[in-house]
Amino acid sequence: MDGTIGILSQVAFWGLYSGCIYILLATGLNLIFGVMKIVNFAHGEFLMLGTYITFFLFVISGFNPYILLIGSIPILIIVGVIVERLCFRPILGTGKLNEIFISLGLIYIFQNLVALIWTDEWRSMRSPYADILINLGPIQLPLDYLIIITVTAMILVSLYIFLQKTTLGRAIRAASQNRKGAMLMGVNVEKVDMLTFGIGAGLAGAAGTLWAVSGQVFNPYMGSIPAIKGFAIIILGGLGSIPGAIIGGLAIGMVENFTAFTLGGSWKDAVSFILLIVVLVIRPTGLFGEAEE
Amino acid sequence: MLAIENLNVSYSHLQVLWDVSLQVSRGEVVTLIGSNGAGKSTLVSTIFGLNSSPTGRILLRDENILGLPTYEIVRRRLSLVPEKRELFPRMTVRENLELGAYVRSHGDALDHVFELFPILKDRQAQNAGTLSGGEQQMLAIGRCLMADPEIIVLDEPSLGLSPKLVHMVLGTVQRLNEEGLTILLVEQNVRRALEISHRGYVLESGRITKTGPAEELLHDDQIKEAYLGM
Ligand SMILES: Nc1ncnc2c1ncn2[C@@H]1O[C@H](COP(=O)(O)OP(=O)(O)OP(=O)(O)O)[C@@H](O)[C@H]1O
Ligand SMILES: [Mg+2]
Repeated sequence: MDGTIGILSQVAFWGLYSGCIYILLATGLNLIFGVMKIVNFAHGEFLMLGTYITFFLFVISGFNPYILLIGSIPILIIVGVIVERLCFRPILGTGKLNEIFISLGLIYIFQNLVALIWTDEWRSMRSPYADILINLGPIQLPLDYLIIITVTAMILVSLYIFLQKTTLGRAIRAASQNRKGAMLMGVNVEKVDMLTFGIGAGLAGAAGTLWAVSGQVFNPYMGSIPAIKGFAIIILGGLGSIPGAIIGGLAIGMVENFTAFTLGGSWKDAVSFILLIVVLVIRPTGLFGEAEE
Repeated sequence: MLAIENLNVSYSHLQVLWDVSLQVSRGEVVTLIGSNGAGKSTLVSTIFGLNSSPTGRILLRDENILGLPTYEIVRRRLSLVPEKRELFPRMTVRENLELGAYVRSHGDALDHVFELFPILKDRQAQNAGTLSGGEQQMLAIGRCLMADPEIIVLDEPSLGLSPKLVHMVLGTVQRLNEEGLTILLVEQNVRRALEISHRGYVLESGRITKTGPAEELLHDDQIKEAYLGM
């Protein structure tokens, strides 16, 4: 009996850990969708850039890879700001088709650029804590998982405080609830768009660092599967809802790991989408979706 | 203080405003009346830079603000209470008011707003989306005042309110003017609006057809017939 509980909590912990990457991706996507009402289909490429930037900084500096978040987050924020300014602002409000083509273009540009610089071999890196296991009662956990979960929680708490307490954060929330209202309060909504897109990209960059540090392999094309799951999560949790992104990300992480544990690893990716379809049939606005205003 | 000169505005191929000119002097309440679809809200949103491709001039303290982004206009101490209120529904009353002060450099007007609308003080922690229509209108006015404007534009502040609330809201407008605020008021409650105004303009199918002191407009036969139901 104790053994079963031990195994189940171990699987739940894996779910929590893999949910972290999804939560960071989906939160960024929803932040951007909330303010700009666009979906950046190249969001997975920000994750991929995050892994390579971490890898590169690690090779040249030899720093503890977790410290490299200080590099990957700001670099991705800047990349996001530039992408918003050059690619998405000009097409804002011109229709979904333009967003899709801009995103597709960005996917190819980023993938090929990275392949050009670092080739398209699979890469991986090793955390200095890779061999450390922590005993928590009946379960054994890699120290890296615990750090990743803690780091993700810290990032989310900082984001929450930023959005709730700072003037800029409030301007972002205002613009996402009522763009015209925000303009009339004197908010420069174009600046808010740029900043929001940057923060979304920065969160994906953080996810990239955590992905690389946890020892998972990456190549220039690795962004697409996690990104598709990110899209599934924001639909599942409700477009624009940050709590929805967090709970949806956790749910997908858990479901995947329990499925892999019970049915086998090959079901892992399929089950997220089965869950998505079921939720959409029952509740088309997503679990936490806002009704149309 | 605010002068609109020969303003023309179109939506794609449909011209909505034709050569509209209108002035509001410091300290005045000026009412703009006109039937549904006359172009009143179009005029108002054009003042705030929310319509594309207008021609003409909009002078605020002798500076042409036509073509400036909305946030630049609001920073010049001109604020709007829009027709649809445009509140932040999932923020509290308090947060809505605080956002009203976004462009304000110092101090705040919270006490003043709570004194004007005591109900907002009781509802501070409630989400704006859950307020009644009347409360939402009070919040929209209060939020606009938080910016510390010198001149405000109100687009049908009494729309959808009970007669008692209409009276209260227009009474507040009068009081704000007595406190020194310059006001451009768009209203369908023509009698009550003209009673608290210095001057008025009539907009018909996108053209200014009549203007004069409020007293005069109140006794104008055509206005009596068209807007006062007499
Ligand atoms: N975004 C828009 N696109 C196209 N036409 C518009 C748009 N907004 C308003 N119009 C048209 O412009 C005209 C003037 O509209 P406007 O809202 O300015 O009138 P209004 O005087 O404010 O009316 P009401 O008293 O009903 O508020 C109307 O014929 C309306 O259909
Ligand atoms: Mg109108």
